Amino acid sequence: MSLGASQVLGPGDPVLELPESGEVRIGSGVRLQDGCMAASKAGRLQRTNRGKLWIKGRQKKYIPRVDDAVVGIVRDRLPENFIVDINGPFNADLPLLAFENVTRRNIPALKAGDLVYARVTAADRDLHPVLACTNALGKAAGMGPLSGGMTFSVSSATVASLLAVPPHPALAALGAAFKFEVVVGVNGLCWVDADKLATCVLVANCIRNCEDLGAEEAGAVTKRIVQAMAG
Amino acid sequence: MEYVTPEGLRTDGRRPRELRKLGCQLGTLESADGSATCEMGFTKVLAAVFGPRDTAGKLHPDRAVVRCQVATAPFSAGERRRRGKRGPLATEQAATIRETLAENIHLELLPRTQIDLYFHVLQADGGILSTCLNAGMLALADAGIPLKDLVGSCTVGYLESTPLLDLNYIEESGGGPLLPMAYQPNMDKILMLQMDKGKLPVETFEVLATLATEGCRAVTGQIRQSLMNHTKQLAVARGSV
Repeated sequence: MSLGASQVLGPGDPVLELPESGEVRIGSGVRLQDGCMAASKAGRLQRTNRGKLWIKGRQKKYIPRVDDAVVGIVRDRLPENFIVDINGPFNADLPLLAFENVTRRNIPALKAGDLVYARVTAADRDLHPVLACTNALGKAAGMGPLSGGMTFSVSSATVASLLAVPPHPALAALGAAFKFEVVVGVNGLCWVDADKLATCVLVANCIRNCEDLGAEEAGAVTKRIVQAMAG
Repeated sequence: MEYVTPEGLRTDGRRPRELRKLGCQLGTLESADGSATCEMGFTKVLAAVFGPRDTAGKLHPDRAVVRCQVATAPFSAGERRRRGKRGPLATEQAATIRETLAENIHLELLPRTQIDLYFHVLQADGGILSTCLNAGMLALADAGIPLKDLVGSCTVGYLESTPLLDLNYIEESGGGPLLPMAYQPNMDKILMLQMDKGKLPVETFEVLATLATEGCRAVTGQIRQSLMNHTKQLAVARGSV
């Protein structure tokens, strides 16, 4: 079976027959079923550079993976950790000391409802996910509590396109015209902050628009909006 | 009452082996993780999926738990009255749907979680169970929950010595046997086959089961088409992403 780059599959559709010999690498959305590789969700078949097959679908729930950068909402504080909602099946644990230069004496005063930008350090299927606001070297690297601004959610597919390199055309168009800060969490939660509230709302709406548009199209639409706002 | 005229037409003008118009829409509810509306003729069901999420009750260390509730709107059928979601009929339907759809989910991939399925019957004109199953199937696919196959469901019946496909309310009330079926086409496996009411000779049962399988295949084809259209519409499937 050919493996076209833009093959759209649904659950149960055969992806590939198992070859006689050699190696097949599969990722999310592909399962071995009756001696054949079958899709387990609807989406587009993708192939990584190393030949791994996976299906890029759109979903609202986030399934945690190690090293994903996520935006979470603090739900509670326990003696050893914060409980953080990351839009996944389970709330995540953020140890009190998992911030840069934080000791027992200066633990960030986070309370329920506050936002954090953190990295997933453990995502075992039998345990709750664990977060840290540091990179592997113990540096903050932009992570930590987020204050001010506003949040909104987007689906997994939009996140992937927003985080792509080079920057998403819509973000590039917005960035050229306005001054703002944006954090896109892999879990689908985005945070925007700017000097003016109007800019925040504009950026949020433009990013939400990307949900139903292709990258190029969203870029063009955003450019038009930006021009209208400026003029 | 005559259910099939000598010319071979049914009460609503269909042929005995003809399905009603099937309409599906995905992502109809913003707040749910996955949702779909399915219409089979005048029967209309809204399905919403929440999850996988933390279990409220007993958790399973090695698989997900599926829960299901079927509610029927007071205005769904001819007479306006309250139709509970805890009555014996609703409970039985919910149990059947839960068992059938759970069988089609890779539950082992989502340990310690719970998947909630909510159905709301907005219009009832026969084939509620089948419409619920089709809507639930699409809602699960919309939620991105790992599935084994795309299940299609339809009901067959036997009236006036004629096997009928996809019965409406009048035909369902005709007193003949009813066979709702759910079928996995890629795996060629019957997930659910019930026989409500009446008796049938074995040979006729086989004819009906075959007809139901064909009906399910046709339904799956259409369901698949709507799912593919929905997937393609989303930015994911565009070449530009």
